[in-house]
Amino acid sequence: MGPVDPPRLPRGLALVPDAACKARQRPGKAGSAAAAGLKVVLRRRIRRWFENRLPRSDSWLLTQANLYILPTKAGWGFGVTLLVMLLAAINYQLNLGYALTFLLGGAALVSLHQTHGNLRRLTLHLRTPQPVFAGDAATLEVVLDNPAGERHGIGLALYDAPPSALAWCDVPALGNSTARLRFTPQQRGHQALPSLRAETHFPLGLFRAWTVWRPAATVLVYPAPEHPAPPLPAGLPSSGQEQAARQGSGGEFEGVRAYRRGDAPARVVWKKVAKSGEMVSRDSSSSASLSLVLDAQQCGLPDSEARLRRLAAWVLAADRLGLAYALRLPGVDLPCAAGEAQRLAALQALALWAPR
Amino acid sequence: MTARKLTAWRQWPRDTRDTLLLLAVIGWTVLPHLGHLPAWCGALTAGVLGWRVVLTLHGAALPGRWPLLALMLVALGLTWWNERSLLGREAGVTMLVVLVALKTLELRARRDTLVVFFLGFFLVLTHCLYSQSLLTALAMGVSTWGLLTALVLSNMPVGRPPLARAAGLAARSALLGLPVMAALFVLFPRIGPLWGLPQDSAGRTGLSGSLRLGGVASVANDDSIALRIRFEGEAPPAEALYFRGPVLSRFDGVEWQPSFRSLSRPTRRAVDLQLVGSPLRYEMLVEPIRLPILPLLEATPARPGSAPELAEWPLWQGLDLLWHTDRLVNERLRLRAQAWPRWVLGADADEAELYAQTLLPPGYNPRTLAWAQQVRQRLAMADARTLAAAVLAHVRQNDYVYTLQPGLYGRDAIDEFWFDRRQGFCEHYAAAFVIVMRAMGVPARLVTGYQGAEPADADGFRTVRQSHAHAWAEYWQAGDGWLRADPTAAVAPERVRSSRPLPVAPGLVGGALRSMSPALADQLRRTWELLDSRWSQWVMGYSRSQQFNLLERLGVQQPDWTDLLRVLVGVLSLAAAGGALWAWWDRRRTDPWQRLHSKLCALLQQRGVAALPHHPPRTLAALVRAAHGPAGEPLALALDALDRQRYAPGSQRLPKRSWWPEAKRHGAALPAGKAPG
Repeated sequence: MGPVDPPRLPRGLALVPDAACKARQRPGKAGSAAAAGLKVVLRRRIRRWFENRLPRSDSWLLTQANLYILPTKAGWGFGVTLLVMLLAAINYQLNLGYALTFLLGGAALVSLHQTHGNLRRLTLHLRTPQPVFAGDAATLEVVLDNPAGERHGIGLALYDAPPSALAWCDVPALGNSTARLRFTPQQRGHQALPSLRAETHFPLGLFRAWTVWRPAATVLVYPAPEHPAPPLPAGLPSSGQEQAARQGSGGEFEGVRAYRRGDAPARVVWKKVAKSGEMVSRDSSSSASLSLVLDAQQCGLPDSEARLRRLAAWVLAADRLGLAYALRLPGVDLPCAAGEAQRLAALQALALWAPR
Repeated sequence: MTARKLTAWRQWPRDTRDTLLLLAVIGWTVLPHLGHLPAWCGALTAGVLGWRVVLTLHGAALPGRWPLLALMLVALGLTWWNERSLLGREAGVTMLVVLVALKTLELRARRDTLVVFFLGFFLVLTHCLYSQSLLTALAMGVSTWGLLTALVLSNMPVGRPPLARAAGLAARSALLGLPVMAALFVLFPRIGPLWGLPQDSAGRTGLSGSLRLGGVASVANDDSIALRIRFEGEAPPAEALYFRGPVLSRFDGVEWQPSFRSLSRPTRRAVDLQLVGSPLRYEMLVEPIRLPILPLLEATPARPGSAPELAEWPLWQGLDLLWHTDRLVNERLRLRAQAWPRWVLGADADEAELYAQTLLPPGYNPRTLAWAQQVRQRLAMADARTLAAAVLAHVRQNDYVYTLQPGLYGRDAIDEFWFDRRQGFCEHYAAAFVIVMRAMGVPARLVTGYQGAEPADADGFRTVRQSHAHAWAEYWQAGDGWLRADPTAAVAPERVRSSRPLPVAPGLVGGALRSMSPALADQLRRTWELLDSRWSQWVMGYSRSQQFNLLERLGVQQPDWTDLLRVLVGVLSLAAAGGALWAWWDRRRTDPWQRLHSKLCALLQQRGVAALPHHPPRTLAALVRAAHGPAGEPLALALDALDRQRYAPGSQRLPKRSWWPEAKRHGAALPAGKAPG
């Protein structure tokens, strides 16, 4: 029996065990912890409802229609400060106090427009993300295109990330800049990208303007390779063939041929390369015939996802060794080959395989 | 070493630089307070800020919570010790300064920084409690700019933005907000104080409704302005300028208070006042002095043509010649009146009233009373005038000293002052004089007010400051009524003659300038005071009456504060609409290159060229050549030129303004056609 997948919880429930744990540590605050947990769940529900109303799009032009702005906590604090200052000015009849209070009030009002204007008219694009293994972080490159003057302090993050996860960037006038975000897909296949948010507090931090964008692009997620994985299966049809293959890639070889794109570095005859300056590889036509077949049936695992993870680990192992291999899944039969293209094809087949 | 450190500021990490900027701004903001805060507060603040600078420069850890709490408690204790209270202006400002300084040692989270900013803004405001002069306004402006710059920096999380850039952005926000500020300043209704203000315990020169000796060890010279006066015609000398404030005739051994009779409006009889000689016309600007009186020039009678008239301010004159208002003067008042420098007051005063002014509480100041009895016996047949002259001669001939730091006096303050220490300021001299006169059976009373004025500025106004506050005495001489006696003049004639009670030592720069070029120093001082006076009259003196005048000029009949509110709401709504309009217009703005390109595509499509949005100008040029041949050559050349403008090395940020009209002309020359496809 191989390792079993951890149970996958719906996202909305993910925090419940955490909250329960806190409640156990501090029995006196059980009620408040549960309330906090409920609040988090409720907030997530609202966020998801909001998120699902948004259209998916490739690029996102920020306009008045999709920008939101509210005072920050600092903004409320500033408001209270201004109120106290105004009261002091009234009570002590200080004209200079009025002047100062109104100066700050005017600046705050202007900063409302500046904060909104700091995001307005920007366009967000997403570079096509590279495929990743499930459980590894995918890098999302968001390009901010600026048709106007310089922008400062624009933060990007996944929609439900905490403020500390914001990636900050400045955008030069009539230029663009790139922010890199990481997100970790958990499931294989073509995965929709999570919603992103862009926000800014610039210039005075009294207001927070933000937008939520659902990118239309997807990322290809390979199954997470099993780790540690059992050794590669014996080659098919006979076990001797694999040994021959290993020998073939070892000392005795039949001859050399010109380097072909996709040849593993282990197959390159480096001595000859150093002498002649031409890339040459071992010609192991015979070892190709002794190909390894990675078959889902061989894994001996009952769970199809676990089988895919083991196959992914084997594909990587075989590729590291420079072996040629074939991949057989129910409904998929990838012919025997070696190299980068084969690896990508195999991994893609594993990522997209669906049971019939 | 130090010099290298100073030039090394460019290499400081950003956090270090930003923290030091914030500390510098706080230091600058606290600086003007040092003059009127207790010395320990200044030392503590300087120490804490210095400590924080050292910690920042060395990147050391901040102290824990307990040392800060201990320091805070020490500061609380010292404030209590100083002020005997934690409420009130002085105590509040002291605590605020200490709090801001200590909070800088606790900048852990973003929230802490915000607290420092907000306390800092409030700290800036506290400066106008002490002075609203132009200089204060400038210093406050610098503080505000610095705090806004630090706030902007804290919202620029990327890289190491230059300080000048952040300062520019802060100034931009503030300057763009100026119209809003101006509208609010002009139109926000000036209403009275919302609740009573805690009284300040610290002694300072100035007027109050009563007088207590011995409770205050020293008084600070409060240089804020009490009033300004301009004479029409020849101005009297400074020593003749007595501005009458509360008259105090009730004494309980500790405190002098006005008589009950003088507090109520006289109903039955008129003030017993005969005027001698010709009047002086004057114009006066009374600052908010927070007393329900007007300190007018002696003697301003309540007769038509010479009494002041103020809309909305009912005025009446008490039997003791003091002008009362129906509420605290909490805005600047401008008035015209007439005063007679010579007058006879209370020549026919009744016995009962006079008797009340010879009373002394039993059991206080026995030595002074005994001394007065001796003098009285020696001059048994003398009248009040002779007795007063004898007392003044005693003051003149003995070694009495005029000082603003007389130290604390005990229960029998006058005994102690008259015989032992002989140090005091006007209140001591006047109070001792009145007690001696009363002990000799002469009706006498204490008058408080202002005495003297500074020389006229360029507008002819003479400034009377709170430091001109004075106390003198009046005694009653049969046939002549109440006569003024100023015992302070007997001991320190220059206090009465000169414009300032005690010359303040000039500052370092001022002193140096004065020793090098007195004329230039005077010229600078006069120019500055003129600016300050204009500022004070038109900006700081802006009050409700000016607001209503403005509304009347705008065509509002009989304006009140609801009209002000209405106009204010209207103006602010307009501003909000303007902001929304700007946002709407801004939405439609695009990159000038893109805008030009879309216009260009539309033009070319009309001329039968299949221009598409992604075509660069050089492709468009090729398309034009293909579609129109030699006829299209001028337009194609223009397009090539545009391509160079945009993409060649050293390309321009914006397209040339003249390009589009030219291209349009070339395009118009081409035959119209439909774009294929």
